[in-house]
Formats: sequence, C-alpha cells, structure tokens
Amino acid sequence: MAQGDAKGTSEPTARRLVSVLVSVLERPEALDDIYREYSAPLRSAGYDAEFVFAVAPWHRSLAEPLTGLIASGHPIRVVEAAGARGEATLLKLALASANGDPVITLPAYYRVDASALPKLVQRVEQGADVATARRWPRMDPWLNQMQSRVFHRLLGRLAGGGLDDVASGVRAMRREVLETIPLYGDLLRFLPLLAIHEGFAVRQVDAPQHRRDQTKRVYSPGVYLRRLIDLLGLFFLLRFTYKPLRFFGLIGSAFALAGLAILGVLLAQRLGGQGIADRPLLLLGALLVTLGVQSVALGLVGEIIVHFNVPRRSTYRVEGELSEEGS
Amino acid sequence: MADPPRLSIVVPLFNEERNVAPLVDAVRQAQANRRDWELLLVDDGSTDGTRRVLRRLAAEDQRVRPILLARNYGQTTAMQAGFDNARGSVVVSMDGDLQNDPADIRRLIAKLDEGYDLVVGFRVRRKDRLISRRIPSWIANRIIRAVTGVPIRDNGCSLKAYRREVVQNLHLYSDMHRFIPGIAVTTAGVRVAEIPVRHHHRLYGESKYGLSRTWKVLVDLLTLTMIRWFRERPLLMFGWGAAGATIFGLFWTTASVISVVAFRPTKADAMVFPGVAVLCFGLAFYLFMLGFISEVALYGRSHAVPRGEP
Repeated sequence: MAQGDAKGTSEPTARRLVSVLVSVLERPEALDDIYREYSAPLRSAGYDAEFVFAVAPWHRSLAEPLTGLIASGHPIRVVEAAGARGEATLLKLALASANGDPVITLPAYYRVDASALPKLVQRVEQGADVATARRWPRMDPWLNQMQSRVFHRLLGRLAGGGLDDVASGVRAMRREVLETIPLYGDLLRFLPLLAIHEGFAVRQVDAPQHRRDQTKRVYSPGVYLRRLIDLLGLFFLLRFTYKPLRFFGLIGSAFALAGLAILGVLLAQRLGGQGIADRPLLLLGALLVTLGVQSVALGLVGEIIVHFNVPRRSTYRVEGELSEEGS
Repeated sequence: MADPPRLSIVVPLFNEERNVAPLVDAVRQAQANRRDWELLLVDDGSTDGTRRVLRRLAAEDQRVRPILLARNYGQTTAMQAGFDNARGSVVVSMDGDLQNDPADIRRLIAKLDEGYDLVVGFRVRRKDRLISRRIPSWIANRIIRAVTGVPIRDNGCSLKAYRREVVQNLHLYSDMHRFIPGIAVTTAGVRVAEIPVRHHHRLYGESKYGLSRTWKVLVDLLTLTMIRWFRERPLLMFGWGAAGATIFGLFWTTASVISVVAFRPTKADAMVFPGVAVLCFGLAFYLFMLGFISEVALYGRSHAVPRGEP
C-alpha cells in the first residue's frame, strides 16, 4: 500500500492516504456494501483509501462480511469498542487506528451519494479544515425537508454558522480537527459548529442525497425534545464557554431582583401596619430570591471550573505566524 | 536573530488596517538605535485589510512578528497569545490604535529597572469623550480599586510593562486583561508602580467598545474577587453563605412560632412563614453542597497546575 504523507506534498500525482472512519452504531447497513460503494469513487479520484470500522459490541456480527475482504487484501480495519456508548467514542477509537490525513467520517448507513467523498477531500486540500456534506438536492418527503429547514434556521440563530445540513454526518477534515476538538456524547452531531468555535475553517459542499437515504417519517416527540435540548446546550457551550457567570448571573439577578421587588412591597405594607403572615406573595418573593442566589452560586462554581482548567487548555488557535511565506 | 530580544512589545489588533503602519513606524522611531526588540502584532480575526498590511510590514522588518488568530477571540485572548509568543525578558503591552505613545515605553522600562515587576501607565489629559468614556471609566476604576485593593488609577490603560516572570504566570481568558495588575499583585506578590503616560486621539477607525462594557467589567470583577477568596477554601466561602441562609431560616422559624402562638391563625394562613423558613434552610443546604462540589472541582489544583500559578 502506498504510504501517503501528511501535508506539503505539491505533486498532484502522489497518492495520498485518506482514512474513512465509519462508526457502526445506529441502524447500520451491510458493511461490505458500504465499503464497496464508498471506496470506489475515492480510488478513481486517485486516493488511497483505508476504511476503519469502529463497531459497537452488540454489532460485532456485522463485521463478519468484512473478514473476507480483509483477507483478500483490502485496506480495511475493524476496531471493536469495549462497551462504548456513543458515536464520539467510536470515532476516536477509529482515529487511533487510522493513518491517513485528511480523514472522512461516515455513518454506517446511506446518506449521500458516494461521488461526494472525493469532492469533500478536495475541498479540504484546497484549504478548508472541515468540509461537511450538505444533501442537495433532497429527495425526502416534504415534511422532512421542512423540519430540517426549521431546525437549521433555529441552529443558525442560536449558534451561528450558516450550515444547512449539520446532521448529514459525512465530513472530511484534517486529522488535527478531530484530535483537537473535545467531543463527547451527542456533540458529534454538531461537529462543524464546534469546529467553527475552535477557529477552524468549515465549508459546506453540496452532495446529492443517496437514493437509499429515505430517512424517517415524522419523528416521535421525544426526539424533538432531545434535539431542542441539544441546541440549548450547544448554545450555552459556545457562547459562555469561558464566562458562565454571565449566563447564570444574568438569570439569577433577574430572579433575585424580581423577588426583592416583591419583598420590598410586602415590607412596606408590613411597616404600614398590614399583617403579612398570610400572604402567599411572601412565599413567591422568597422563592424568587432563593432561585436567584442559587443561580448565581452555580455560576460561580462554573467560573471556578473554568478558571482552573484554562491553564491546561489553550484558549485560542493560531493560524500561523507570518515569516517569509504567507499563508 | 540568535539571541532572544530583550524587549517584546505585544499589540492586539482588530480591524486596524490604517493604524498598523503608523504604529510600526512610531515604535521603530521610539526605539531609535536599539536593535534588541521584537514587535508582536496579534491579529484577532480582522476582517479588513489588516493582515495584508501585516504581511508587508513583516517582510520589510524582521523584528515585526505577526501572529494570526484563527478567528476573533477578544482582546484578552489576543494579548495572551502575544504573551505566549514573546521572547523578551521584558514585555510591554500596548493598544493598536495609536492612543498610546510608543515613546513612553522607554520610561516604563526605566521604572521597571528601578526594582519593580510591573509598571502600569495612567493616562493624563485624556482625549476621549467625557460622558460615554471617561466617566464610566472613572467609576469602574474606583470600584476596581476598592474591590481588589490595588491602588491602580487607570485600569483601562493598556500600556503596561512586565517582567517575563510575571507574564509567564498569567493565564488570561474572557475579559481579564483589565485586571492583570489586580491579579498579579494578590496572587504572586508582585511589585507594581504607576507612571503617567500620554494619550492621543484615535487617528483612524472607530473604537470597538461602548457603555455596556462597564456592566461586563463589573461582572468579571465580581468573578475574579470571588475566585480570589475561593482559591484555597471554597467550602468555607459557600459555608458562609449557608450560614447566612441558616440564620434567615431561624429568623423565619421564630417568626412562625410567634405568629402561631400570638395570633392563632387558621391552618392555611399559618403556612407562609414556615414556608419561607423552609426555603431558607433549603438554600443553606444547597449552598453547602455546592461547596463540596467546588472542592472536587479544585482537587489537585496545587499539584497539577503547571508553572506554579498559585
């Protein structure tokens, strides 16, 4: 197998090693089909593509068809996660076994047409740090498209970014991106936004939707709730990473002030002779002040956490120091 | 340049394409015959032609070192980036809009050599607008002085000179750069001096800050003060809060007892005072628990934090 080198190769004919990381977790399709379909366009575009399948333990059996391919020399590797829970962990595992740069993340089901992959890699080679696929034109039912559009409009409002298909899951990126960005839980879904937040250049590439990407009908309400919570969490994380007290403090002060206002009125009435022992409003005032203090106190704990973690992580990314060569 | 320069000048920049070249000229002139300095121009994600100008200037003079941040992070982070890359034994920070005068740098360093670790400039004859810039600034400075206990007259003046050791122990983020003297003094026993410095009209471009900055500054100040108190014993601090809440709770409990005994209210009416008492005790409990969690969050801080930041 030809060994690609990382960066700096200017000869267009040198074959570069691209690693395709496939996390096998949700509704996986036949893995050997996936391999065949998605490796072909990469090879014809002149890339050496290795596929690393990170498999959740309960999908172990799905890897069997691959053993035949591996035996005949195809560049496939299978990594099994010992009880991993999330897609992010699987991807990290896959990355550890991968040698290529750039890397492509691919779900184990069909999202975009395979011809998109080389385009994504090329976009990264042209200078983007992350190239994310946007399914366009879309063939799903109108309702799904509507839902997607509303979701992304909301996403843009909360977290910025100008992305239209955050959840396509098909992205090419420089290896460094995956190694740098802290990913856990469901954050992987929003990787492009996190990348922007970290200062990476993220570009969107139109890719035709795969004919088998039927996606769902209408989702259950539970899913919507989870997405909404994801969005709120993301919004908070991105905007207030280093200043939690601003968030908690604002909310806390608002509550506390409202409470104090109520208590103030009651105090005035008490001093004016009116008894207040039977006024539920007193309870409300006290509750609001309590909530306010709790909120601010939580914000302080957040600040403590940030303050003592900052020395361990760099808070910025440098694009480069200009010396003789510009960037 | 084989040896590290003696002096590093750090200037954060955001959309200052017309100010950069005059700035570099002014610095060069002020440094006159000396060769052992470097100028770190940190571009904080400018969207105008600042980078273009930086490229040109860097090509012309090796002492000019541009650092390009991947996006706009804010003045504090940009300054930290400059500090991280500074090689000099003395580091001077400055504004990028020419309101500071590079000619003052020599005087700052001279003061430093008298035996101080940090020299801060205070602006005389300020050229800003009175209502929207100078008065809020005056208020903020008084508050900062009162709270941090550090008698710095002008916290908003970016012109400061540091010894390398002071800079190395700084980990700035959010909007902390205003409080560097406060932080430095209380945490590392740094000797601080103040000297008057000149202040000029902004030449080109527009100022990036407004009145709302004062509010943010106050919140950040609260944070930093809390953190200073917390530093070693968070449980203690939250414990004080819990104690306060407990006292409130006891007050309301007493009031409840008095109310029931003296006035014999109906069952429903008797709920309010006890209700408030319960809230107070609940709050006390909550704060106490937060104290424990803070201890966990801070676990290992004395050993794990590098470079001995206290």
